[in-house]
Amino acid sequence: MSYDSFLADEPVIVTAALTGGVHGKEATPNLPESPEEIGRAAAAAERAGAAVVHLHARRPNGERTFDTGRFQAIDDAVRRHADDVIIQHSTGGTAAPDADRHRPLRTDPAPEMASLDMGPLNRYAHLTSENTRGLVDSLYDEMHERGIKPELEVFNDGHRNEIRGLLDRRDLADPVYATLIFGPGTLTRPTPRNFLTAIDDLPEGATFNTLGFGRHQLPFATMGVLFGGHVRVGLEDNVYYRRGELAASNAQLVERVVRVANELGRPVATPAEARAILGLRGV
Amino acid sequence: MSCPYLSYRAAAGDHEFDTERAYCTAAERFVEPMRADICNDRYDLDHERHCEIYREHAE
Repeated sequence: MSYDSFLADEPVIVTAALTGGVHGKEATPNLPESPEEIGRAAAAAERAGAAVVHLHARRPNGERTFDTGRFQAIDDAVRRHADDVIIQHSTGGTAAPDADRHRPLRTDPAPEMASLDMGPLNRYAHLTSENTRGLVDSLYDEMHERGIKPELEVFNDGHRNEIRGLLDRRDLADPVYATLIFGPGTLTRPTPRNFLTAIDDLPEGATFNTLGFGRHQLPFATMGVLFGGHVRVGLEDNVYYRRGELAASNAQLVERVVRVANELGRPVATPAEARAILGLRGV
Repeated sequence: MSCPYLSYRAAAGDHEFDTERAYCTAAERFVEPMRADICNDRYDLDHERHCEIYREHAE
């Protein structure tokens, strides 16, 4: 995808990353944690223009869990509150055993999409999220078996090589869908030049989603809109609306990027349009 | 064995929660959920190896 896609008025898919697994209500009280809170946040994000919700699961005290039952409770709440939004489960999980990383794929029905981290990233001072190729392949295989579209999470430039390696090892359905992640630490350094390099370096025919951490969320989402990609916003990646002001909700962040897309003349995809663009199985 | 600096509480300072959450008595702040896995030595994590706050206070 490119600036030509922008000029061609192709719809932009907005993903709302509602809660994440790293920070919780200690960072912002507006971050949803319980299934009911996540369900209501998903519905509000959908009303604001999100076609996809990216979901993690939490224990009742806000801590991470990979429990299938907890993901099921979240999905049930999302379907109860939202209309037609696409459910995307995270399979990310620093230090969690490989078996646990598979558990988000096993809800009934399976999520239409799931994240697939393309390689290692550093956490804090003494911790690495490994994401070995063996784990990537096994997660991909279960996704393929269950009809789940992988969202390839590209945390840095080397992970684009890993996409090509995965394409050598496995037969991914078109279009290949990669989320390009920009920010501090292990992430690709957030500069416009790096963004352009990243989108130019994707495999032929791939489509991309744009994710900027923290203060980079809005400018990188705007670049994603301009260069024919898709965008992800939400409290998982950024808890502020502007410097020193916490975002009131995930929906507020979605509303803002939808306004940007509207101002730039790019239509925002409905969930049905997003399913067609991404080649999802539907539910 | 969990980190000796870990406690669970529902309120501290300006923060108040409906359920008790992980609190680091060394850093005197509530703990991010992913850090709570280190505090609790879940999975293969170990607070003595992986937590810079514990290491700093243990020295």
